[in-house]
Amino acid sequence: MIPRRARSLFRLLGIALLAAGLACAAAGLWIPVKAVMAQHLLDRAFTASLNTGHVVKPWSWADTWPVARVSVPRLGISVVVLAGDSGQALAFGPGHVNGTARPGEPGTAVFAAHRDTHFDFLDQLNHGDVIEVQRTDGVIAHYTVQRTAVVRWDRSGIDPDEAGQHLVLATCWPLHATTPGDQRYLVVAQATPR
Amino acid sequence: MVTHRIVSLFASLLAFAATLAHAQTDMGALTVKSRDGSRVEAPLLATDIDVTVSGPVARTRVTQQFINPTDKWVEATYTFPLSDGAAVDTLKMVAGNRVIIGEIKERAAARQIYEQARTEGRRASLVEQQRPNVFTTDVANVGPGDTVVVQIELQEAVRISDGEYALRVPLVVAPRYTPAPLRQEFSAADVQQGWSTGEQWTATPVLDPRLDPPANPVALRVHLNAGFPLAEVKSHHHAIAVQTIDDTARDITFTPNDVNGVVAADRDFELTWRARSGATPTVGLFRERVGDADYLLAMIVPPSGAAPGPRLPRETILVVDTSGSMGGESIEQARASLLIALDGLKAGDRFNIIRFSDDMSQLFAQPVAVDAQSIATAQRFVNGLQAYGGTEMIPALRAALRDPDANQSGIVRQIVFLTDGAISNEQQMFELIGNARGRSRIFMVGIGSAPNSHLMTRAAELGRGTFTHIGSTAQVQQRMSELFAKLESPVVTGLAAKIEGLAVEFSPNPLPDLYRGEPVLLFAKAPQLHGSLSIQGSSGAQPWSAVLPLDQVREGQGIAKLWARRRIDGIEASAILGNIAPDESDRQILALALEHHLVSRLSSLVAVDHTPVRPANQRLTRADIPLNLPAGWDFDKVFGNRGMRDAISNDDGDDPVLLAAASNSVLLPRTGTLSQLTKLLGLMLGMSGFALIHITQRQQARS
Repeated sequence: MIPRRARSLFRLLGIALLAAGLACAAAGLWIPVKAVMAQHLLDRAFTASLNTGHVVKPWSWADTWPVARVSVPRLGISVVVLAGDSGQALAFGPGHVNGTARPGEPGTAVFAAHRDTHFDFLDQLNHGDVIEVQRTDGVIAHYTVQRTAVVRWDRSGIDPDEAGQHLVLATCWPLHATTPGDQRYLVVAQATPR
Repeated sequence: MVTHRIVSLFASLLAFAATLAHAQTDMGALTVKSRDGSRVEAPLLATDIDVTVSGPVARTRVTQQFINPTDKWVEATYTFPLSDGAAVDTLKMVAGNRVIIGEIKERAAARQIYEQARTEGRRASLVEQQRPNVFTTDVANVGPGDTVVVQIELQEAVRISDGEYALRVPLVVAPRYTPAPLRQEFSAADVQQGWSTGEQWTATPVLDPRLDPPANPVALRVHLNAGFPLAEVKSHHHAIAVQTIDDTARDITFTPNDVNGVVAADRDFELTWRARSGATPTVGLFRERVGDADYLLAMIVPPSGAAPGPRLPRETILVVDTSGSMGGESIEQARASLLIALDGLKAGDRFNIIRFSDDMSQLFAQPVAVDAQSIATAQRFVNGLQAYGGTEMIPALRAALRDPDANQSGIVRQIVFLTDGAISNEQQMFELIGNARGRSRIFMVGIGSAPNSHLMTRAAELGRGTFTHIGSTAQVQQRMSELFAKLESPVVTGLAAKIEGLAVEFSPNPLPDLYRGEPVLLFAKAPQLHGSLSIQGSSGAQPWSAVLPLDQVREGQGIAKLWARRRIDGIEASAILGNIAPDESDRQILALALEHHLVSRLSSLVAVDHTPVRPANQRLTRADIPLNLPAGWDFDKVFGNRGMRDAISNDDGDDPVLLAAASNSVLLPRTGTLSQLTKLLGLMLGMSGFALIHITQRQQARS
């Protein structure tokens, strides 16, 4: 039997824990919600860029802007890619990693995104799948998935100046882990010959 | 936190629509927004700078000619930089054929006098200090087609490093990033001055070099009287013509092919000179008698060749600013400097690299030992650095100052901080350094054509390190090597000075460490100087002392003003460190400034003509003189959306390509979030809470 005083203390503790739990869960849920909401804004900015030929920032103080739209027709997926790979950009959409080629140009273009938001579909991509990349100037590049790989973040083996046209989609590995780590999962694709 | 994000996302939705609407407007040439929001043609400005160097001090006369090309009556505001530590003491205004001498007044009083004259239609000018190295001149009632000339004079000390004497004349104020949340350094008046309008870059209009030709031409002359036989005299960023007067004196002007000896105000002028070998002065003692007091300037030269004892292992934290203002040449200079810094590390040392813009990242979680692998990783990191975003310097500085092994002895901890200092929250930086510096020494490296020398000098002083300026890529190698020679060992530490039989207060106080090749300027005031100045410290484990007999003192000019200016800096520093109450420091600063006729944070110079010139029925228009963007800056990286189009198409153009070498593989960003973990944690907490409530309820029901 628990004494009355202790009981009310436990009860208070219980309420506090419940409240903290709800707050935590909300914060955890907020990351994917923000990722989805931002994509709507980004989609509009991307379309505006396409129509006007100007770069349009998704919101006035954004330090990044849409550079391309990546879609996988088989999976019905489409996401807008942002310039740069800063942590803030990645919260809103996949980032075009600094220093890598522009999609549709010779070299390797690298897009990176969070495994639990925009690039949660990478594990569904198979050899032979088609990836489309549309740039803000309207040019569309088609790529075919060649292979997948797991690498360390600082030993990716990706050469941005490689001969031919390549596309790499990168996210964190393992795909369903709960803490960030050193490993990255790569989907490597090559320009589809026309 | 969560609600904050919801609000910010909602705000972004609204702002999105606004951005689309805004993108249509375009900026015309040389018109500026007046204070009431309408667009007006900008007043023109020409500047003439005349510097006379006498030994260790320089007297500068800046003549600003305000030309009104419009058919309206205009009030013009010009924001201009002066060297850090400059003592501004004279204002003259030439109106018609009269010269009006400005008076020093308390800041608010000066502004009131000026504003009254403005309303009454009289010509007036006001010189105010906005930051210790940024001033503004306001000129009221410049008639249509009229010209008003304003002349200010100032005193400064020459910088000496490695036997090289240097004069730096800043010619442009760089736009500065104001971090959010805003915290005001100065009075509320600053906000109206347009310094912190809530926009993240300060508000004076800045010309886009691609759209408008450079404005604000500057002519410059330097009369150099070194006081010793001269070897080479060199200008680092401008072409000059040097005329030899005699063995110790030269006259310097911009070369005639710079369009009539005139250049645009878009980069700092830097002149250095050396003594002919064997003629380097070893003692520098200068005195000026003003009123009933003697003012002393002493140059303390560190002992050369003194063995500083065994080299101690070091922990070096390299901090690099990768914000938008560092775009263009600056980031290249920063990369090159960092690579040289990495080369300078030795086995047995530890190091880390921190980069920041509006976020920050560290190369390693903790400082790591220097070895081939860690250096290779660091070099890759450095080569991948790119400039974008804002300048949130505080978190990076705080991370650099974190020193968990503070009690470990026998190790020297050094922070090398590379930045252009384009921020406006210097005060917060100083407070942080003052409070958290611990055993760390802070070495500031100013990058780019117009770094914020006030931030650099004061931060280095509070951090007991030095300030190195790198103004062009050509200077990187030499300046960084010199810095690393200094980093190897402070030659003399624990410096103290006294004059036997006199109670004298010295500035700076406490005295800094002496580094190789870097003399320290020491100021003192006494009723009557006599006897000798003795200086003591320790060099490694050895005591070191020097005695300078005061009968060898030479007469100098302007030393009293420099002393007063240095005292003001010292009082500001004490206030930062909390050694003196703000009221008391303000009172002391104002008293010093008024006594020595100096412009300061609390006092301004104002000159007013007697006769009204503007007819009462004519309106007066206000306008800021637009500023040039400092040379080498990238307009888009600073001001964003106006030219984003170009920023993208440059990607495949001639911009420096990152990770260009094929052997380097791409570094991948972090792509895991804590979303899952947070949700899981939330679930567990929630369930245990629910269980507890449930148990207690059952217990209650049973009893």
